[in-house]
Amino acid sequence: MDSLKEQLKAQIIEALNLEEMQPSDIQNDQPLFGEGLGLDSIDALELIVLLDKQYGIKLSNPKEGKAIFQSIDSMAEYIAAHRTK
Amino acid sequence: MKRIVITGSGIVSAIGIGKQETLESLLREQSGIGPMCHLESVHRLPVGEVRLSNEEIRKRFIYDGQASRSALLGILAAREALEEAGINKGLLAKSALISGTTVGGMETTERDYLHWEPGENLETMALHDAGSTTETIAAALGGVAFCTTTSTACSSALNAIISGANMLLAGDAECVIAGGTECLSKFHLNGFNALMILDREPCRPFDDTRAGLNLGEGAAYVVLETEEHALQRGATILAYLSGYCNACDAYHQTASSENGEGAYLAMKGALRMAQLQPASIDYVNAHGTATPNNDQSEANALKRVFGEQLPAISSTKSLTGHTTSASGSVETVICLICMKYGFVPANVNFHTPMANGIIPVAHNEQKQLTHVMCNSFAFGGNDSCLILSSSSYGETPLGRKMDFSVHESATITIDGATDYRQYLSAMEARRMTEQMRRVIVAARQALEQAKVSVPDAIITGTEWGCLVNTVQFLDPLCREGEEGLKPTSFMQSTHNTVSSVLAMQLKCHGYNSTFSHGPNSFEHAKRDATNLLKLGLAETALVIGFDEADERWNNLLGKVGRQVQNIAKAVVLKSR
Repeated sequence: MDSLKEQLKAQIIEALNLEEMQPSDIQNDQPLFGEGLGLDSIDALELIVLLDKQYGIKLSNPKEGKAIFQSIDSMAEYIAAHRTK
Repeated sequence: MKRIVITGSGIVSAIGIGKQETLESLLREQSGIGPMCHLESVHRLPVGEVRLSNEEIRKRFIYDGQASRSALLGILAAREALEEAGINKGLLAKSALISGTTVGGMETTERDYLHWEPGENLETMALHDAGSTTETIAAALGGVAFCTTTSTACSSALNAIISGANMLLAGDAECVIAGGTECLSKFHLNGFNALMILDREPCRPFDDTRAGLNLGEGAAYVVLETEEHALQRGATILAYLSGYCNACDAYHQTASSENGEGAYLAMKGALRMAQLQPASIDYVNAHGTATPNNDQSEANALKRVFGEQLPAISSTKSLTGHTTSASGSVETVICLICMKYGFVPANVNFHTPMANGIIPVAHNEQKQLTHVMCNSFAFGGNDSCLILSSSSYGETPLGRKMDFSVHESATITIDGATDYRQYLSAMEARRMTEQMRRVIVAARQALEQAKVSVPDAIITGTEWGCLVNTVQFLDPLCREGEEGLKPTSFMQSTHNTVSSVLAMQLKCHGYNSTFSHGPNSFEHAKRDATNLLKLGLAETALVIGFDEADERWNNLLGKVGRQVQNIAKAVVLKSR
């Protein structure tokens, strides 16, 4: 699970072009949106693309993303349970 | 003192070719949304297609020149408008054509992108840019004195009408043919799909169950002239353009603010210009895309403008689909038809009210329409509104400020590397290409030099738009297909991205527009800004010239001996 989380951080940094950020700058339980990392609704859509491309998980409704994308912890948990690749 | 009138109109959309067919569909509440016939896509999504194929359109006016579908639709609608207004070749040669489009010739570009080789399709490369669409229409009509292209995503056509009206008030043209055109393309279908705002069912504006928009295509134009000019030549006045306004939400690149500030300001501004109270408005043709975000935000803005006494409201996108860059003029012409025949058009598929929404008119209602409002909003919070009146109204407060001069306060050009960090945080910069960052720096430095903290207007001119993002979306679409495409690239590919980002940064809610018309784009932006200053609609304007080179695109353009150069310049205009 820890390696999944580290891999996920690197993938997020690349997908969202967070140029000046290192994986170590993102805490596992830190909120990704709003006050936390400061991501917005377009980033949420990019994360949906990332889930599909990297893990073969398809979300058809952007609303589903809300709970999944709360933090690295919640994302990793969801990926571990639903990944198809 | 000048009043602007409309003396001709033409329309093509999924609900009909021309005004007569459109009227018949409106009267039957007949939607044009259905399965794709002309566009080829793996996505099984309902769309509002114009029923004619490109070949069938060409046969209608015997045209065999190179043209994208957007241009063909445009020619069809513009010809109808000219005919109704009785514009002969002589008058046309003294008139201007202003047309809105965003993807221009993208439908031919995506078809030929992988096949642009010497001796093969190279001529369609010249159809790509937004301005070429307008040039093609102008040439097919027989030549005009001036033509230009507005490109502010979905509000492009209304902004063309606004810019055209300002030209007339400033005495720049005898007549203006203004509107917009956009055909369906895989590019923008996949763009909206990546943004997850397309409904798999027929769209339901203002309904609690709404789940997104259906893309449509179409074109529509109106002929504008001063009342004096129309009366002198004995033209029939269809309606008065009594008020209009463009304002910027300055909130987010794609989402509208919760209280609909930009929409509110646009509607208020149009009412102010028309010197009308909200209670005088008989009908609002809403933007009403049926996305969860737009309809909630627009409903909030409508309630802020009209209070509890809402006028009749409907979104005819439930019939035509969202004709994107053409929607502003498509819906303006629908308003003209409804004013003529005295009815409020249906907002079909409405069944369940939203919790804090508005109740649209679900079925046609007979009603005399004296003052009608038409809303058109776009990415970047680019919000426009116009008011049409069936009879002469009070005196327009415009056209008074003729003893003025425009002063160029500061001009900044940036060529090389630049330190953008003073103006852009890492989070803001991450979606911007190097060239976009340079433009932001040029704009901010020009404002500093001119000692203007927030300009009244921001206007950009760009020949190719945000090319790097365009190619980032287009290339994988053509090579790998219609899956896994990045929503950010699509969002950033619109021509008005730079002007919107600046508006957000500066919290500038004023006039915001973008011109994309070949190498003259910057001059056209400056001309539009000068008219705003001349008419007293703004005292300061930030004008930006922007283009960005893209390696892959330049490799293609090199085959016809062309290249895109980086341009990042900004000038601040002040009236005095």
